Amino acid sequence: MTIRISRRGVLAGSAGTAMLLAAPTVRGQSINRDRIILAMTQEPVQFNPLLYVNAGTENVPEACLFDALWDVDDKGNFIPNLAAQVPSRQNGGISADGLTWTVNLKRGVKWSDGQPFTAKDVEFTYQTIMSPNVAVRSRSGFDLIKAFRVKDDHTVEMELSRPFVPFLWAWQNMHIVPHHILSREQNIQTAAFNSQPIGTGPFLLRSRTAGSHMVYERNPNYHRGPAKVRQFIHKFVPDQMAAYGQARTGEVDYLALGGVPNDRWAEARAFPDRDFLLYPTPNVQFIYYNCGKPQFADPRVRRALTMATQMQKSIDDIYFGTWPRTLSYLQPTHWAYNGDLRDYTNDAAGAERLLDEAGWRRGADGIRAKDGVQLKFTMSTTAGNVARQGCQALFQQNWKAIGVEMEIRNMPASVVWGEYTTQSRFDTLLVAWDPTVGLDPDYTARCHSRMIPVKHRQGSNYVQYENAEVDRLLELGVTQTEQADRIRTYRQIQAILHEEVPFAAQGGSVQGHLKRKQLQGPTPNQYVTDITWNVYDWAWA
Amino acid sequence: MIGFVARRLLQAIPLLIGVSLIGFGLMHLAPGGPLAVYTLNPTIQAQDIERIRIIFGLDQPIHVQYVKWATGIFSGNWGYTFFGGRPVLDVILERLPATLLLMGSALSVAILLGLSIGVLGAVKRYSVFDVLATTGALFALSFPTFWFGLMAIFVFAIELRWLPSGGMWELGEEGNILSLLQHLVLPTLVLALVITATWSRYSRSAFLEVMHQDYMRTARAKGVPPRARLLRHAFPNAAKPLIALLGVEVPFLFSGALVTETIFGWPGMGRLFVDALGMKEYPVLMGMMMFTAIFVILGNLLADIAIAAIDPRVRLR
Repeated sequence: MTIRISRRGVLAGSAGTAMLLAAPTVRGQSINRDRIILAMTQEPVQFNPLLYVNAGTENVPEACLFDALWDVDDKGNFIPNLAAQVPSRQNGGISADGLTWTVNLKRGVKWSDGQPFTAKDVEFTYQTIMSPNVAVRSRSGFDLIKAFRVKDDHTVEMELSRPFVPFLWAWQNMHIVPHHILSREQNIQTAAFNSQPIGTGPFLLRSRTAGSHMVYERNPNYHRGPAKVRQFIHKFVPDQMAAYGQARTGEVDYLALGGVPNDRWAEARAFPDRDFLLYPTPNVQFIYYNCGKPQFADPRVRRALTMATQMQKSIDDIYFGTWPRTLSYLQPTHWAYNGDLRDYTNDAAGAERLLDEAGWRRGADGIRAKDGVQLKFTMSTTAGNVARQGCQALFQQNWKAIGVEMEIRNMPASVVWGEYTTQSRFDTLLVAWDPTVGLDPDYTARCHSRMIPVKHRQGSNYVQYENAEVDRLLELGVTQTEQADRIRTYRQIQAILHEEVPFAAQGGSVQGHLKRKQLQGPTPNQYVTDITWNVYDWAWA
Repeated sequence: MIGFVARRLLQAIPLLIGVSLIGFGLMHLAPGGPLAVYTLNPTIQAQDIERIRIIFGLDQPIHVQYVKWATGIFSGNWGYTFFGGRPVLDVILERLPATLLLMGSALSVAILLGLSIGVLGAVKRYSVFDVLATTGALFALSFPTFWFGLMAIFVFAIELRWLPSGGMWELGEEGNILSLLQHLVLPTLVLALVITATWSRYSRSAFLEVMHQDYMRTARAKGVPPRARLLRHAFPNAAKPLIALLGVEVPFLFSGALVTETIFGWPGMGRLFVDALGMKEYPVLMGMMMFTAIFVILGNLLADIAIAAIDPRVRLR
């Protein structure tokens, strides 16, 4: 038998196939009320809540599968989760001297394999965090625990070496892992648990398709009541533009983290069947001045450089005016923010006067110099971040006008945030960071003089800032239990930093999320990095 | 023949060792490292980074790290990822089917189309078709793949809504062949476009060269009909450089397509590589490099065997 292939036949066949393939895709556009699809550009690779490092995307499996002792709501209040109540002086959970913390645990909570959750699990979580063999991302706060005692199945007691009010944030940030499974592991680092986790959380991990998505099913025995949708899908769409396209076609219900590209915000706001959420993050973007370099040793130089920058213009032009301008390391809406600070930027004349006064005079080439050191330096950030490159170009112009030469030297993330940053090798950086102990205003790690890694092998004071008064205030702030006292202390710290500018704050980063109007639950919470912080509450209207 | 294959495989061992040495060395000499990912997490301090460096074994001298890795490979242990703690081989193998499918379909479409266009162009040299085809190929090669990808998504997924804009399956329909085919269309076409262009240019020049040989004129003088001349005389001769090209392209079946996979959210090896590179996930990068190196060697070996099979002048010794 011979098969004759005619041109007409081929054409007809192709057209038929195309129609067959094209026909049923309309299905993707309508809502499936049984499930919620959340899209992000990045994919989580570590599901063990103690081991992940990539906050944001890896917060999703954490929030779906695990619970902390307490959470933080969108007002900044601690709300109990696995603990029966949040310890305080009033309820006797914290002793009068602030050293002994007693936590009563909720009863009747079960791991998703049916085993009961007990104080042993909390103790084991603490022991794992402190284990020298496990790459837990941080021990901040936990390293102050002098003694950990299991009083009974539902009570633990921790004794601290010194009073530390932000201790609540340490536990809010670390979710509890099961003792009965992980204690049997030789090496927690490579345990199968890390990709097939068992938790107490609102969902169970049903399946994972590498590079594509993860499917969660509701946990019928969740201790806060079963979630309102049967299925929750976390989808990864690596290209931001493509992800935005999927949010428009309805292939995903909620596009978050990275979200809508900045230049599409106006368009996204106008979709009638979608909600555009302005989502403030705890992230503040700074110019980091390396105080260890001769150009930046004098606070007057750092201040003058900051005065010359057009910070508000950078926000208006590059971030389309969507970021709130902040003058400190906190978002302006934070309870400890110092609202009395005055914005002194966009003042080139003032900057020139201050540099003249500090003895930095223009040389023959137009660049200012003092004692043989020219006011010339580099600025680095992650290569390829278009918005940040725009800011750099603006600052470069601003500084050129006052006789300062800045060279943009951007590098891949794995280079610029490696030893280049941690060993303070940079001149200046353009970087965005959250506060260091949850959203507590404590900033010891970033600006206490004992926290300079190149000198003391600890901390994250990469700008090498030293000020005895700031040290004293930072030490005081973490022992004060009254909020009013703390506000006073942290306002003072912010005022000094505003004068001496080891880092100049630009703005608080805001993301633009896009969700279907009918999806209820996603609520901006500037106190956490986790956009699924209340995922057990998400539902279709 | 068997002796030839055995000898080539033996020769591959020092080659692979060399590749791994150079790769490992370059990776560690390049600035930056996996610990940078930790710096960006605000709770992490210098002492944490130091502790994690030791746990990952990154504090040891490079040659010690290499020997550890190489001993592992010889005993079948490809190591564990830094950030997920999973066996590297699992991480690679779970991405392989998606990449094989996408690259396989794109290569097949492209070779079929490219070869036909090239042959037709060579036979009807300087015809309207030939001019259009060569210009089109130049156009396809000059535009970046990401542009084609985004245009395809815009036109077919967002405006016309004929095809899904990304992913491999309709969510919840994993295993549904129709859903898979729908998702396969756009990335295959975009990827095939560039490969078709390359193949049409290669095959056109390969056939042109052959068609002006003496034996072609002799065949024509003998009265061999045009179709037989093309298939029996021109094709085997022109195929040799194309088989060599195929041998070089086969490894791409396994290494994946970086840009296309990223734009279409296709869960293949290309994206694994991009992610691993961004985080400097050394064990995965080394694993993927060895994997690709093995297939480069195998692809070339197969091409040599195939050339010997169609050309009696070539003997494998």
